Amino acid sequence: MRRILLGCLVTVFTFCAADVLAQRSVTGRVTSAEDGSGLPGVNVVVKGSTSGTVTDVDGSYSLSVPEGGNVLVFTFIGLKSQEIDIAGRAVVDANMEADVTQLSEVVVTALGIERNKNELGYAAQQVGGDKITAARGTNFVNSLSGKVSGVDIKASNTMGGSTNVVIRGYKSLTNSNQALFVIDGIPVTNATTNTNAQQTGGVGVDYGNAAQDINPDNIASVNVLKGAAATALYGSRAANGVIMITTKKGRKNSFDVVVNSGLTWGQIDKSTYVKYQKEYGGGYLPRFGANRTFDDGSLPTPVYGDDASYGPKFDGQPVYHWDALDPASPNFHKSRPWVAAANDPANSYFETAVTSSQSVGISAGTDKTTYKVGYTRVDEKGMLPNSTIDRNMFNFTASTELIKKMTLTTSANYTNIQGVGRYGTGYNGRNPNQTFRQWWQTNVDIKEQREAYFRNRQNVTWNWNAAATGPLYSDNPYWSRYENYSNDSRDHFFGYASLNYEITPWLSVLGRAAYDGTQDFQEERVAVGSAGTSSYSRYDRSYSEQNYDLMFTVKKKLGEDFSFNGLIGTNLRRTKTEAIRASTNGGLVVPRLYSLSNSLSPINPPTEDYIREGVDGIFADLTFGYKELAYIEGTVRRDQSTALPAAHDSYWYYSGAANFVFSEVIDADWLSNGKVRANYAEVGNAGQPLAVYDVYDKPTGIGSIPLFSLPNTKNNADLKPERTKSWEVGVEADFLDNRVGVDLTYYESRSLDQILNVTVSGATGYTGKWVNSGEISNKGIEASLYVVPVQTNDFSWTVNFNFTRNRNLVVDLYGEGTGEVTNYPLGVSSVQGGVSFNAAKGYPFGVIRGKDFVYTNGERTVNSAGYYQTTTASNVIIGNAMPDWIGGINNSLSYKGVALSFLVDIRRGGNVWSLDQWYGEATGLYPESVGLNDRGVDKRTPVDEGGGILLPGVQADGSANTVYGEAQDGDGQLPFGYAANGYSGAPHSWYVYDASYVKLREATITYSLPVAALGLSKAFKAIDVSLIGRNLWIIDKKMKYSDPEDGLSSGNYNISGYQSGAYPMLRSYGFNVKLTF
Amino acid sequence: MKRIIIFILPIVLMTACVESLDNWNVDQKKATVVPPRTLFTNALKGIIDVVTTPNVNTNNFRMFVQYWATTTYLDEPRYNMTQRLYSQNQWYAAYRDALVDLKEAKRLINNDETLAPDLKANQLALVEIAEVYCWNFLVTTFGDVPYSEALDPNNVLPAYDDAATIYSDLLTRLDGAIASIKTTAGTFTNSNDVIYNGSAAKWIKFGNSLKLRMGMLLADVDAGKAKTLVEQAVAGGVITDNADRARFPYISAPPNNNPVSANLNPLFSSREDFVMASTIIDAMNDREDPRRQFYFTQVDGEYVGGNYGFSNAYADFSHVSAKIIEPTFEGLFMDASEVNFFLAEAAERGFIGGGAAAAAGYYNEAVEQSIIYWGGTQADADTYLARTDVAYATAAGDWKEKIGTQKWIALNNRGWDSWTEWRRLDFPKLSPPSGPSIPTALTIPNRMIYPVIEQTVNGAQWSTAAGRYNADSPAAKLFWDAN
Repeated sequence: MRRILLGCLVTVFTFCAADVLAQRSVTGRVTSAEDGSGLPGVNVVVKGSTSGTVTDVDGSYSLSVPEGGNVLVFTFIGLKSQEIDIAGRAVVDANMEADVTQLSEVVVTALGIERNKNELGYAAQQVGGDKITAARGTNFVNSLSGKVSGVDIKASNTMGGSTNVVIRGYKSLTNSNQALFVIDGIPVTNATTNTNAQQTGGVGVDYGNAAQDINPDNIASVNVLKGAAATALYGSRAANGVIMITTKKGRKNSFDVVVNSGLTWGQIDKSTYVKYQKEYGGGYLPRFGANRTFDDGSLPTPVYGDDASYGPKFDGQPVYHWDALDPASPNFHKSRPWVAAANDPANSYFETAVTSSQSVGISAGTDKTTYKVGYTRVDEKGMLPNSTIDRNMFNFTASTELIKKMTLTTSANYTNIQGVGRYGTGYNGRNPNQTFRQWWQTNVDIKEQREAYFRNRQNVTWNWNAAATGPLYSDNPYWSRYENYSNDSRDHFFGYASLNYEITPWLSVLGRAAYDGTQDFQEERVAVGSAGTSSYSRYDRSYSEQNYDLMFTVKKKLGEDFSFNGLIGTNLRRTKTEAIRASTNGGLVVPRLYSLSNSLSPINPPTEDYIREGVDGIFADLTFGYKELAYIEGTVRRDQSTALPAAHDSYWYYSGAANFVFSEVIDADWLSNGKVRANYAEVGNAGQPLAVYDVYDKPTGIGSIPLFSLPNTKNNADLKPERTKSWEVGVEADFLDNRVGVDLTYYESRSLDQILNVTVSGATGYTGKWVNSGEISNKGIEASLYVVPVQTNDFSWTVNFNFTRNRNLVVDLYGEGTGEVTNYPLGVSSVQGGVSFNAAKGYPFGVIRGKDFVYTNGERTVNSAGYYQTTTASNVIIGNAMPDWIGGINNSLSYKGVALSFLVDIRRGGNVWSLDQWYGEATGLYPESVGLNDRGVDKRTPVDEGGGILLPGVQADGSANTVYGEAQDGDGQLPFGYAANGYSGAPHSWYVYDASYVKLREATITYSLPVAALGLSKAFKAIDVSLIGRNLWIIDKKMKYSDPEDGLSSGNYNISGYQSGAYPMLRSYGFNVKLTF
Repeated sequence: MKRIIIFILPIVLMTACVESLDNWNVDQKKATVVPPRTLFTNALKGIIDVVTTPNVNTNNFRMFVQYWATTTYLDEPRYNMTQRLYSQNQWYAAYRDALVDLKEAKRLINNDETLAPDLKANQLALVEIAEVYCWNFLVTTFGDVPYSEALDPNNVLPAYDDAATIYSDLLTRLDGAIASIKTTAGTFTNSNDVIYNGSAAKWIKFGNSLKLRMGMLLADVDAGKAKTLVEQAVAGGVITDNADRARFPYISAPPNNNPVSANLNPLFSSREDFVMASTIIDAMNDREDPRRQFYFTQVDGEYVGGNYGFSNAYADFSHVSAKIIEPTFEGLFMDASEVNFFLAEAAERGFIGGGAAAAAGYYNEAVEQSIIYWGGTQADADTYLARTDVAYATAAGDWKEKIGTQKWIALNNRGWDSWTEWRRLDFPKLSPPSGPSIPTALTIPNRMIYPVIEQTVNGAQWSTAAGRYNADSPAAKLFWDAN
């Protein structure tokens, strides 16, 4: 293949060796008459010749003018054309009237190539950097939510946690569905280092993903390439869409300094947290434990070991609470009344989160050189005690014309992140919500727990073991935060050098070398004295990716009417991950010493990863244009990957796209611009490395007796590349002088022959196997709409709508006929609580299976005890995490120097299964378990005394339910959760919730001070003061006591729609001052 | 043109085309060649762990036979088999953690052309015996399971075979294995024969003892065949001395410590989930059993059991003893006491000679070996066996009840073995928990339900098999469980 490439290159050289006739050079900059900003994408042509160019992102251009050329013509769709006499001038600036329309901007496409949007045959939606940084979020990915159609962004509520970014639906059954992040044309890692256990709801910490290392203040714009046609040049890795980031650069002959300083505060939104009942206290049974005799005599004691609130009714009688057993407590051996806690976790555990963000950016340029230097520091303190993240981000980009027409651009970016006490997630003692949402006593005062810990920094728990020597299940929640915390750091370096040479005005060559590397270090600890074995573990990981590109681009007018853009190039990519995870064994010897050498038993061999992949690619892209009316484009790429067996390690993919600018032929005042587009693409994918050749696992030997074992997953030496086929059609139009605009797309994609780690029957001796099989289809509609209801000199109001509706279907899994596999569970076969998340043939990806209600004539059936009957089968489909649609509405209003913007983010449909409610309702934490029943008697009173709960539904014979069920726990006399039905459990489907929400996601008010009027113009170019708010208000949601958006983590295990120890939403507000010098 | 070279040169220089990266897709941190003995030992650990562990996610058999009760969580003592994945974990332990490694060990041994023929035969025989043990675990736990189509990653939807048919084949294989062992040759080197450390002769005893156990399992459904098997096994030599017991030597360091310690020893866990059930404690209190101090802790100088199937305050009841939660406490495949109980039963059934008199002798031997194994003295055993409620002549009930009760006491800490013996002998009489808070009548399981994951990934084959057990009911009886 390499020979073919060389052949092509030679042809291109020969082709271009001809004309070197340029006579003189003219440079200049085209600006907008409205605001003086540079206008990209303006066509600049020497009148009466074929010489021409297009302005770059800054609006600058440089052009060779042949002998006799005297006039330059500046044209731009939606703007008035201009002709300027250039006789005797070397610098010709132009100032063009009318505003920048949505359609006619220059967008950055695959490989960093700038294109006029009207030339594109596929959907691409660009968001300006100012829109992303307006609300000063620390993770720019979260700031895209609701702003781009076709993109499903789910942020977790943890500090610095990972964000799930899925474009146009889940396409891969077992591999990553996360979008590819590309900065200035170069892919950067968005890896998550979270463990499998973390991603599937087990013990773990969400360390976030690497895209958040990107400095938001350095982003000029973000362009989202959604479909395969747009991303085909990136091939396999872009099958899930691309988030293209263009960074800010310096401008020629300028000098700007921008300083941002901001501070935000956050507090939990209590509608997303537990509301505790205040009538009954700790215990499973409505009685106290054995009396103890202390200073106040022989008095009852709560059952400290029962981590539930189905205990005795609060009646104010003196009892020995947990602190009566704490020798350091003023209440030692003293009784206190049996009452509900004055300070519960919802009110008093979560702290005010504070984020301080400071940045300085200098961008400048001379005639030949431009550069940009930025530094941003963000200090974040989370809502949990002892949680901080500090980020330091440096950026440097410079571009210089080395010799005539040869430009060298270099960029170096370094981010350092240091985290302390990131939040534990899932079913995990280090996640305080496991305790507070699921296993808690409502008599425990959280402030007293805090004092108890800080008196001597000991693990004084409310949940004493039987001998009262330490915790049974739950540590003191402050001990847990201050002793059993994790800390981590990541150094992320990203940089490139590229050399661009304009061989002729229509042919240039680009060579580029890029490096992206991260160094992660994570430490986790469990202190001596905690519930569970003390431990220390560390994880060291280094990742690097190198990309080498060589590209020739051709831009040529063919006569008056035809244009031709061509691209041919090669890409070499090498990635390497090296990681080691080691932990102590059997406990720690010396308390509070966290080192591997402090292990009680000899440590087990660490887990080592060494994963490499090499991909060689060649590609070409051809675009033909007719006038500015119609374009067709075709791309082709071939990759060869080491991740596949040698027999089929190479694969082709290609795309074709066409568009037609119908506004060129329809002469109507009301139509400002309009085009239709269509495309088709096929993309291949190599899957992940190390899935081909079999190896053995090495369990820890029994002393000196060695062990080996076959691995759990069977590798496959016959793997082939997987494929995604997709097509889309779309229309874009602007009306009424760009007061209204619409962009509509319909797409379909089919991902087939997927490289899957399928779950197989354990009777094969394996639990998983790599195969080529399965098919998922996605069909959807994306719509963006803008309306400018008011636009006057002083006042303008713009509304942007985004709408996405994706329908996902698992078409096929594995095997045929009687051997067909029609379902398999994702990640793990079943998560805590007994439900599973599955790919099931004929259903959307990620269906939830569990036990359902038994229906009689469509009504829920209760049994003879008055509780809901459940199906015997535990694999009934009871929900699905995919939303019906998502959308965003953004309003921007500006009046003179004041700008107001607010974004409403909407998600409709989709389900969440809540382990928190499954356990928490069975332990009696929630108000639903107390109060009066419809007979006016306390629900927890025995049924024969008039108590109990009458569940809506019918009896087995179909008649309305009249049987009151006991509603006190103990030995299973409870309708709720895991303990219902005498511990057979309630229907899982009872704990499936509608995940819909409507959130006021962002609101900002910015006031631009009239610098000149204040006489400050010598010092400042601009001063902007903003008030900002994020997640201010959940306008509507269906799920009580939780934020339906919160999930576990991003990653490959694809379990969304599961909440376990969910974090409340943080409502944050603050200010930012932006000074431009 | 010169300038073009600036571009191409570095690319050409660093270009190492992927074709030269052949080894990039081979895991550099894992072995591609291993000695088969390491797979054999790993399989033994895989199966003994699942039989030994008290982890609620894997093995709740100690509750099925009412040795243990729980403090707070009542799902498992009330036989909820779907809240957790213990059925699946047993399935995985047998197939994935043991049988597939044994199959691989066999393949590697067969491929080793340098191995001396006798040694090779012995190694293959040991692997075969271990395989029979694992299959026996599966068949007596679940019933019909994938067998003829199992352990083949190319057939991901294996059919379930009839349990009785599998059983017959296992017995044939076991005979072949026992016959092929050469006592003149060794077994596995480097201590990888963790059970007998190279003694082929002891493996013959283990093989015959396993055959005895399997033969006795058929006693109620095919007495003729059972008799033949028992006769052959006894003739071949069984484990009658505890020095020959088949045990797995756990060590102190995790993860190879005894799984009971991993779950209950305060070194490794702060949980207080289990107390001893009154069912076993009362039975042993009544007989002033000398093993109580080795089995249980005391509460105020007494052995007190909790109420099985209901919540119990941890501090009020006896717990499992310090001996049993020792990290180095061994795991047992088979011991002499168990074999003697089988012999007593065989004598009563007329499979071997001697009748009731011989049965009494084996019974005494079995009880005595158990007491001494656990730490009691000969005097303890003599006193105990002299009690009218223990002595074979005077203890209550028929021979089934006498043997069943004492075997149940002796097999404490071996929940799975005890559950099988309880299903076979139907003694002691155990009742499931009942009361007003239990809305539906419970039945002590007669079999383990299939893993839910078999429903979801191997649904068609599963449903055929499940249909034979009344829709995968745990109440359905297995083929050998006649009454």
